[in-house]
Amino acid sequence: MDLPIYYTRAEYIETDTGNKVSRRATISGPQNIILGGKTIIASGAIIRGDLRRTGPGHAVVISLGRYCLIGEGCVMRPPYKTYRGNFNYYPMKIGDHVHIGANSIVEAATIGNHVEIGKNCIIGKFTIIKDCAKIADNTVIPPNTVVPALALFAGSPGRFVEDLPESTPEMVEAQTKQYYTRFQPLPQER
Amino acid sequence: MAPKIEYYCPCLAESPYPPPPHLASSSYSFHALHNLFFCEECDAVRCNRCVLVEVSGYYCPNCLFEVPSASVRAEKNRCARNCFLCPNCRNTLTVVPSDPPEDVDSRMSPIVSTTLGEPPFFLYCNHCRWDSAEVDITFEKPTGLAAQLQKFEDSAPESLEFERLKEHFEPFLRASSSSTALPSASSHHVHTNPITAAASSALARDIPGVGKYNPLSRSRIGRDKAAHRQEYPDYKSRVEVGHAAALSGEVDVELLRHLETVGEVASLEQRWSNSWVTPLRASDLKPLRIPLQSKKSKRCPSCRHILIKPEQKAQSTRFKIKLVAANYLPAIAVTLPHAQAALEMMKRSSAKSVSAAAAAEEQQTAGALIAGHSYSFHLAFTNPLYDPIQIRLAKAVVPAHMTEDAEAAERARRSTFQIQLPSAAFPVGAFAEAWEYDDEDEDMFLDEDGVELLDARGKKGKDGRGKSRSVGIVDKRANVTIVSGEVLIPKEARGDVKFNMLVSYTYRSDDPEPSEEVEVGTPSRSHGTNKAPEMKNFSFYTVVDLGSIMYREEPKLTADL
Repeated sequence: MDLPIYYTRAEYIETDTGNKVSRRATISGPQNIILGGKTIIASGAIIRGDLRRTGPGHAVVISLGRYCLIGEGCVMRPPYKTYRGNFNYYPMKIGDHVHIGANSIVEAATIGNHVEIGKNCIIGKFTIIKDCAKIADNTVIPPNTVVPALALFAGSPGRFVEDLPESTPEMVEAQTKQYYTRFQPLPQER
Repeated sequence: MAPKIEYYCPCLAESPYPPPPHLASSSYSFHALHNLFFCEECDAVRCNRCVLVEVSGYYCPNCLFEVPSASVRAEKNRCARNCFLCPNCRNTLTVVPSDPPEDVDSRMSPIVSTTLGEPPFFLYCNHCRWDSAEVDITFEKPTGLAAQLQKFEDSAPESLEFERLKEHFEPFLRASSSSTALPSASSHHVHTNPITAAASSALARDIPGVGKYNPLSRSRIGRDKAAHRQEYPDYKSRVEVGHAAALSGEVDVELLRHLETVGEVASLEQRWSNSWVTPLRASDLKPLRIPLQSKKSKRCPSCRHILIKPEQKAQSTRFKIKLVAANYLPAIAVTLPHAQAALEMMKRSSAKSVSAAAAAEEQQTAGALIAGHSYSFHLAFTNPLYDPIQIRLAKAVVPAHMTEDAEAAERARRSTFQIQLPSAAFPVGAFAEAWEYDDEDEDMFLDEDGVELLDARGKKGKDGRGKSRSVGIVDKRANVTIVSGEVLIPKEARGDVKFNMLVSYTYRSDDPEPSEEVEVGTPSRSHGTNKAPEMKNFSFYTVVDLGSIMYREEPKLTADL
């Protein structure tokens, strides 16, 4: 029912697994970033895959699941801390069907499946967001916060507002899938 | 504002008809589809306002520990591990060690780096930078902090007083609960409604000694109390009340006298959620143990069948039982084709320049319903059942005797909009899992489908501007059927275009025993048996909100029509 969201074909790179990544997004250290498929990275997003754990060998810094959306101007940065005298970055893991609104800054450690994050949010370092949680627009989640499953958080600092309905997983899944099908190149370019 | 549709739950009403949608109070009776439940036994829609809620488990929202219900009481409904709230901003606190000694050698030594840091430890807020050293709370080790703090909590005079009160009333409660147990069996169930009964039984279970609430037996307890009064001694408090109040009062006055900024006094919110009397000064506030949250199961208010039963695991989003209305009733989406067409036009033209604010403003006016025009609207029905259904729409009519002020109603009716809905029943295809699969090859197919649809809609929009407009099926594919209706807004109309719509649909019932005529069948996702399909009917009310009417004084526009 909803209208398609058009983009110019020249701007987006589409991978074999259906990921759509804007050429205007800044992807640092792409070898350390995993996209699950059908994930959209909008223009102006910054993904810091280069901030990897010190040490030899291959390291996954940021992993995203299927049907995710990184909105315009988002910053995805792995969390860091000094533990036992050593400064280090830690990996960021994001599940399936996660939408992150425009201009949000995310330094979470783990984000579950079916999570919605609004626009202009700040998700502090080492935040853990469980499945089906929702972060309202303009929320500031301080570092080390835990957001339980099926909870709506809002405000600064972000606090629990209400329980989300039991049908949230199905709703979010339908929404994210629909968003992916709506997101298509301009008809005259096809 | 985008047009929307909400579903009616009859729990608040005395009559089977939904309240008129222009009344502000009607919003309490209408809910989004995803918030509703469906009871198979009663064959009825249930909402969050009418279901019975039971606690099925407690957990700490921070450490996600599942607290056994036995220890919830002992720990006073708060997390007994390492979870604390900042008294200033309600953020969760973290345990941090003291700064390591300045000289570099010791920091590099293996002894320090193997430990978790230097004692003393204290609690620190990452958001407002409050730390527990400000109120002289430090810890020798970074674990079991709640146990270390609970000593303070339990030794607070208020806490001791409460314990003493409980001790004092214990024998009395035990006696009264045993005395009410006998009459309760005979007279209870008559006057309690299911909600209070459930609440009181939950209370009785959690707090032993509290008898089931019953307004009738109350007076009897009162008489019993009067009879037994002599058996219980008078309560003697630990501290003389008047004396204690006078003491703290003088201190408070002294504090307020020397107050310089408002921030020095703890705000109501900061003092509100604490169990005991909290200090008046913001700088004296103590960290709070985090209150526990609960997982809830929900029951149908009339037949007590479980509608929602969560899994035991606190952070699981799966449910053992989940009877949500979205699996039974067709989902309806409303759109205004003229608004969508306008939106699209704008998007194309303003793709390059035009500031975002101006575009947003334009969007609002382009999709508006202007008085004196008529518009078509689309209703998309999505069938969640595995069998095709037939849907019939009707405008909900409230019988004349329902409206008290007939004259006013008539006036209102004349001045407002006219709605035309397709009168014939239309089919909606069955839901099949295959539609859900969206593998790579199918995507192409889907895309083409999308294009075709769009063209059709574009043409529709052009038609809309001309005279010929259709009320009927617009599009049908998979388990979605789109029908169109029409709204005619007279020139003098004001307010919102909001109307009640009765949706009735027939589906194949898969009740095993057709002999039971009394029982009404329920639509269900499971496939029926091989018996001859029996058709059942289910109707529900909705409210369709197309947006508010814009009024324009421009004569050019009206002449255009």
